[in-house]
Amino acid sequence: MRNHDRIKAFFTLLPSIVLLAVFVYGFIGNTFWISLTDWGGVAALAEEPVRNYAGFANYAELFAGFLGGSFRQDLVNAVFYSVSLLAGAIGIGLVLAILLDNKPCGEALFRTVFLYPMALSFIVTGTIWRWMLAPQGGVNILPTYAGGQPLRFRWLSSTDTVLQFDWQNLLEIVCFLLAAILIVWGFWLLREQPRKAAIRLLLPGVVLGGGTWLWGDLLPRALFMEEMHGLNLATLGIILATVWQYSGYTMALYLAGFTGISQDLRDAAMLDGAGATAYYRHIALPMVRPITISAVIILSHISLKMFDLIFAMTGPDNGATGHPALNMYLTTFRANEFARGAAIAIVLFLIAATFIIPYLISSYRQRRGGR
Amino acid sequence: MRKLITLCYACAALLLLSAPLVSAKELSGKLEIFSWWAGDEGPALQALIDQYKAAHPQVEVVNATVTGGSGVNAKAVLKTRMLGGEPPDSFQVHAGQELIGTWVKADRMEDLTFLFKEQGWMDAFPAGLVKQIGTDKGIWSVPVNIHRSNVVWYVPENLKKWGITAPASWDEFFAVAPKLKEQGVVPLALAENWTVNHLWESVALASLGADNWDAVWAGKLAFDSPEGVKAWELFGKVLEYTNQDASSLSWQQATDMVVDGRAAFNVMGDWAAGYMATTKKFAPGTGFGWAASPGTGGQFMFLADSFGLPKGAPNRDNVIAWLSLLGSREGSDAFNPLKGSISARTDSDLSKYNDYGKSAAADFGKDRIVGSLAHGVTANEGFMNDFASVMEMFLKSRNAAAAAKAAQQIAVKNGIGK
Amino acid sequence: MAQVELSRVSKQFGATRVVHDVDLRIEDNEFIVLVGPSGCGKSTVLRMIAGLESVTSGEIRIGGRPVNQVAPKDRDVAMVFQNYALYPHMSVYENMAFSLKMAREPREEIERKVREAAEILELTPYLDRRPAALSGGQRQRVAMGRAIVRCPSVFLFDEPLSNLDAQLRTQMRMELKKLHLRMSTTTIYVTHDQIEAMTLADRIVILRDGQIQQVGTPVEVFEQPVNRFVAGFIGNPPINILPAVVSGSGADAVLAMGGLRLPIHPPPDCLDCRQVLAGIRPDAIEIGSRLSGLRKEWQVEATVVLAEILGGHSLLEFTAGGNTMIAEVEGRLTARPGERLTLGFDLDRLLLFDTESGLTLR
Repeated sequence: MRNHDRIKAFFTLLPSIVLLAVFVYGFIGNTFWISLTDWGGVAALAEEPVRNYAGFANYAELFAGFLGGSFRQDLVNAVFYSVSLLAGAIGIGLVLAILLDNKPCGEALFRTVFLYPMALSFIVTGTIWRWMLAPQGGVNILPTYAGGQPLRFRWLSSTDTVLQFDWQNLLEIVCFLLAAILIVWGFWLLREQPRKAAIRLLLPGVVLGGGTWLWGDLLPRALFMEEMHGLNLATLGIILATVWQYSGYTMALYLAGFTGISQDLRDAAMLDGAGATAYYRHIALPMVRPITISAVIILSHISLKMFDLIFAMTGPDNGATGHPALNMYLTTFRANEFARGAAIAIVLFLIAATFIIPYLISSYRQRRGGR
Repeated sequence: MRKLITLCYACAALLLLSAPLVSAKELSGKLEIFSWWAGDEGPALQALIDQYKAAHPQVEVVNATVTGGSGVNAKAVLKTRMLGGEPPDSFQVHAGQELIGTWVKADRMEDLTFLFKEQGWMDAFPAGLVKQIGTDKGIWSVPVNIHRSNVVWYVPENLKKWGITAPASWDEFFAVAPKLKEQGVVPLALAENWTVNHLWESVALASLGADNWDAVWAGKLAFDSPEGVKAWELFGKVLEYTNQDASSLSWQQATDMVVDGRAAFNVMGDWAAGYMATTKKFAPGTGFGWAASPGTGGQFMFLADSFGLPKGAPNRDNVIAWLSLLGSREGSDAFNPLKGSISARTDSDLSKYNDYGKSAAADFGKDRIVGSLAHGVTANEGFMNDFASVMEMFLKSRNAAAAAKAAQQIAVKNGIGK
Repeated sequence: MAQVELSRVSKQFGATRVVHDVDLRIEDNEFIVLVGPSGCGKSTVLRMIAGLESVTSGEIRIGGRPVNQVAPKDRDVAMVFQNYALYPHMSVYENMAFSLKMAREPREEIERKVREAAEILELTPYLDRRPAALSGGQRQRVAMGRAIVRCPSVFLFDEPLSNLDAQLRTQMRMELKKLHLRMSTTTIYVTHDQIEAMTLADRIVILRDGQIQQVGTPVEVFEQPVNRFVAGFIGNPPINILPAVVSGSGADAVLAMGGLRLPIHPPPDCLDCRQVLAGIRPDAIEIGSRLSGLRKEWQVEATVVLAEILGGHSLLEFTAGGNTMIAEVEGRLTARPGERLTLGFDLDRLLLFDTESGLTLR
């Protein structure tokens, strides 16, 4: 009987398994294969294009080649963009959710107002913000309503770059970042679990950081020439627009989570001596952790796949606000470098996977643990 | 009365029956035209389609347009269709290397030399143009229109107010630019990234001269030769007199700066004439003025939209009829006044064009014709894509030697002149 | 250790008044049970004491200190909720330690207090578990542990046992009582279950429609209810209440219920009353050998409607003189429906209520 059911289930699922296998995994595999060839250049669009196996040459070119500079800047942009979007949308969404959670009057109205930007398409958002962030209008003239001087910041056309680093030193920088994360994490845990913090986090952090500082010169250079990358201030405008669009969404997620916490729990926390801040920090936020995780995954995906908003706001060739997804499209469909474009797509895919796979593993474990 | 109506019906029936007999070849089936002409350019395309339908009523014309991004999206869709083995009957493409580098090199286009000879177009089109749209193996597309890239636009009244004239060379421009700056006027209005490439080609043409310009694209002169580096240096100097917020403006907004008196000049293709005359309602000649961009007098840097015949087009005969219409005097004179461009033929009926069109047509007839980079005539798509990165690098570093070197590298990589 | 005083405390939600002028003085170490049907305002009173609801008018004092404007956490009270309100993302240890952590007590002190409470409640083996991995009774204990660790001067319980099954409820009830005996902290306990009220309370407060009906020890409210409502609410099976007529006076007074004529000594309030409601507790009706302790005149013939054996005692539904009543009798009664038997009323425990006001006539 049980077996019978299993066979039925298998045949019911078969069509979607086949479709997924072909149209998702098959195509990912095909893209990966293309990325290992030299498909591109003048005869790329011939009826039987010549495709020779080229190994990882495309990837090497992207990360360490002469012409990969724009891709590398796009990648740096994408990192800053993702981090800022996560911090901005989750932070603001959380604050809004906490404000609305305390049931101010007009709560329903505010909820709709804050959620509304979600309903817009990126093209619309992009066009609106392109106007809002025009150098002599929109946001920049806001202070004049308060009698102040108009802002001079060029949101989308600034050519300034902060937090610059040399791509040559990439390995050193990665080591320093890792060390910093370990040390900060260690201090965070120091009060709770002093032993674990000291041995597993602080010590390796200090050793890694110190080692890199002393012998960092021995690390191989990531590039044969000096190439500066950093946070382009022109991306701030794009970050602003995306945060605007997604804060309401995270707010709705959090608000749903907060509303789901029973009044008794709130009362209990209040009696236990937790004020509003302590309540959200120790009770509400840890309880909506699954929501935070989904928000992080959803938003990081959105930021990694961002295309239309940037296209609408600053157009296809604006290097300062470039993004790997945009670069992929232009490389593939404008420059006819299909193999290179496929390589960019695979890099994006792998970055996205680093966000999603830990999540899948942990939820799988949780489900098995729950049984 | 009744008899009269019957008579009318009879006549109509007779006409319908006789019409196919009149046409030399009886065409039927479909014709799919793929382009990114919608919106402002839609009526011009429609005029051509109407003429075609009148001549070949049995053919069902499918007008497939993919809008947006000045053709970026349309080109992507076209590529997927071609790769999928489902080419449209005929598609819009910038004449020159954008077509040749992508589709001719891939052996996807039919040679149209036979049609050019049959229709007598070898004489009707200027020889310089035919050279640019063909290779030694054939001629690959029929140009529908000609736009000029190297034009500087201004408002005569404003120039008078500021006490200057349109500069004939960049040195003259540098002489007046600081004064304009002092008065709070932007000497040269610039817009988003592609317009920077557009400005570059006008500046480089001025610096290199027409012969060297052609030599560069023929692979005979290197980008990092002293002449090439000089062009980048001049370009860097010109950029100092442009507006800071360029990359957040559309080309129309840059044109607006000139119209509103916030900027003195703007280098833009002659679609700007259409924008100022039609949208802004200024009279050509008095409301706005134009000249060849500084240092490029007597040279006509052109770009053209064209249609070709892909191999394996489902309705080949219908396409040939379509291409014949595009190259004909009637066809091009129906299309171009509406599009705001001029005809590629030297014998067009100038009375149908406005003042700007007349002046441009006159220049086209007598000037030295060179191809545009920014609009796909002189270089293939691979080069153009990489050139955007080089330009980005230059805008950041302002290092002429490095930019010239990088440009040479991408030229080699993309097989310029081969 | 503290007394809790409520003076003329009222609570209004919008236009609805749910608590009316409640006056109550709870002594130090006393175990007070607030009982009443749902919607009587008992939980609201408790939440006002906790500080979770504001007081519309009147004053609440804890340990002599007015606390109307004092935040819940500063009132030195701890509360156990009906659904336990445990923090699901914290271990048992963290749940119990939370309030101490909020009070910034030193780590060692927290550890000591939590372990001590866990020892009392037999929770030591579960300290690292999450609430989701505990049974209902264990969760209940954690909720109590969370209250205990703070050593508050007042414990508040809001129907803490109502989510447990009957058996566990009895067990927890006894543990609770033992705990109180051990800790001797002022305790206010809300329930709708009169058995919990009777077994746990030093004094019971019966509420109805936001008003206190009666305050007294369990025996007082059982034997001397102030009105028909209290008499009906306390006691299981419920008191038999029948319309009756009192005639005659002094030693000749007779209570007529349907066809029954029973001689009584009417209370002073009923010197010349006629129409009354007579209340007879089921356990004030006797049969068999226990009839001997009753006056002959109080014995009547009755017809069995139904007899139920509840282990050591039985419930008997019968009619006598046209009245249907329930008796709770000793032993196992095997009477069949329709059978006739003799039973007697202990009318020394008779309660008479005014038909209009429902007040007890005494």
